[in-house]
Amino acid sequence: MSDVFVVGADLIRFGRYPDRTPFQLGAEATLLALDDAGLGIRDAGAIYAASTFNAASMMAQQILMQIGQTGIPCVNVSNACASGATAFREAVIAIKSGMYDVVVAVGAEKNPSGMLASGKSEGPPPEGLFGSGTMPALFAEAGMVHSSAYGTTIEQFAKVSVKNHHHSTMNPKAMYQRETPLEEVLSSEMIAWPLTKLMCSVNVDGAAAAVLVSERKARELGLGRAVRVLGSALASDPWDARNGVMMNVNPVTRLAAASAYEMAGVGPGDLDLVELHDCFATAELLHYENLGLCSDGEAGALIDSGATALGGRIPVNVSGGLLSKGHPIGATGIANIVEVVQQLRGEAGRRQVQGARLGLAHVLGFGVGVGAAGVHILEKPSRS
Amino acid sequence: MSASHMPSPRPATGFIRIGKDLQAWIAGYRCPDCGAVALQMTLACRHCSSRKPLQEFRAAERGSIYSWTVVERSYPGIPVPFVSVIVDLDDGLSLKGTLRGADRDSVRAGMPVSLAFDDAGGAVDADGAAYIGYHFTPLAGEKS
Repeated sequence: MSDVFVVGADLIRFGRYPDRTPFQLGAEATLLALDDAGLGIRDAGAIYAASTFNAASMMAQQILMQIGQTGIPCVNVSNACASGATAFREAVIAIKSGMYDVVVAVGAEKNPSGMLASGKSEGPPPEGLFGSGTMPALFAEAGMVHSSAYGTTIEQFAKVSVKNHHHSTMNPKAMYQRETPLEEVLSSEMIAWPLTKLMCSVNVDGAAAAVLVSERKARELGLGRAVRVLGSALASDPWDARNGVMMNVNPVTRLAAASAYEMAGVGPGDLDLVELHDCFATAELLHYENLGLCSDGEAGALIDSGATALGGRIPVNVSGGLLSKGHPIGATGIANIVEVVQQLRGEAGRRQVQGARLGLAHVLGFGVGVGAAGVHILEKPSRS
Repeated sequence: MSASHMPSPRPATGFIRIGKDLQAWIAGYRCPDCGAVALQMTLACRHCSSRKPLQEFRAAERGSIYSWTVVERSYPGIPVPFVSVIVDLDDGLSLKGTLRGADRDSVRAGMPVSLAFDDAGGAVDADGAAYIGYHFTPLAGEKS
């Protein structure tokens, strides 16, 4: 099977685009990624398009209507917040199959406004009667499991927001570029203990795209900026006694991570940077342990140590993460990969992780009681 | 006579069962092969994939808090704050619910609670039938 390389990767600035369709946003990101690769849509053999809320509208075809209807296979992917990683992984598989030399993976979203819910039910509205189904409450409860087991504090969760907002001051594509000191994070509106408003991800519109090619095509284009995909994994929730009752982001992420590390032949200690799914500040600490960046119970100490900040041992979410760059649901999985690609090429500007050789991108999708996790491990260009 | 024409109360959520005596309970399902329990009847056991029919049982009405949060902001119109809890019942089932009658500062993982059935906030359906819901309360005698 051919190795797979990312030769084009880019995103539009995340923000609010009331006058544009998600298809237009996805088309713009696709053109940016194709330009980055020095290719055109006529070079692409297939396109995989991710959107949680718009996949049913045949988004891939809608994107081609904006940039060129070449008649190629269009696959539309919806897998909650893991949609983007799912589309990217299908593109990896398509290249590995040998059927295509150039494939586009794109994610685009215009999120509904307001607080996102996990699902609907019959009978009287369950919210408040039977606990809470809001996303902040679910991730608060997930964080409180960690807090109860290991004594993790609200200050430690809040430091994730301080760090990621700081990182995004160096990312011109981020929704926010503003420092949020610890006192501000802690004193912003309490949503669901221990999550304040600044510890919840930003609901924005956005799009991101990647161009994947076979090794043969990568050599033809030149390997100087070609980032190799070492590991690609997607997992669904393994059985857990509380499935359907509470969200547990841990087993599914651990399953995907183990599979990606095995495929890549590397371990967490080999990584130089990580973009992980910080939809809420609690989630980032859980994923430190799920991805093996520290031992179980040590996530609070890891954020305290500064190791996951830019300049630390293993910088996490130097893009600003979902908390500050923003979280356009279906685009997020591609955007995390775009950040890792730019870092491995040494093209990340002021937020560059010096000497980055290996990077990991993770996303976690969650719907009505079930989840999906995607993990990709990428390697820097062999000649740059 | 009028009582017999009153529409019967309905479960406010899917896994509440209501007997002829109007007593409510929570239905659980247990796999006869592996013993895994769930709140839903499924075609096969989602733990071991056994196709032997799951066996319905009446869930325990005591348990302990596995996790919790105090919800300060919810959807528009939902009264806040309230305490959302995940409870591990004594027979292995887990259930999400609202904890009432507890000092929010006393809530902690492991806290014993009991299940109480209620009128689901007084909600009625389109036919005027009352609902039966549930909530959790600190187990009587438990110091907080």
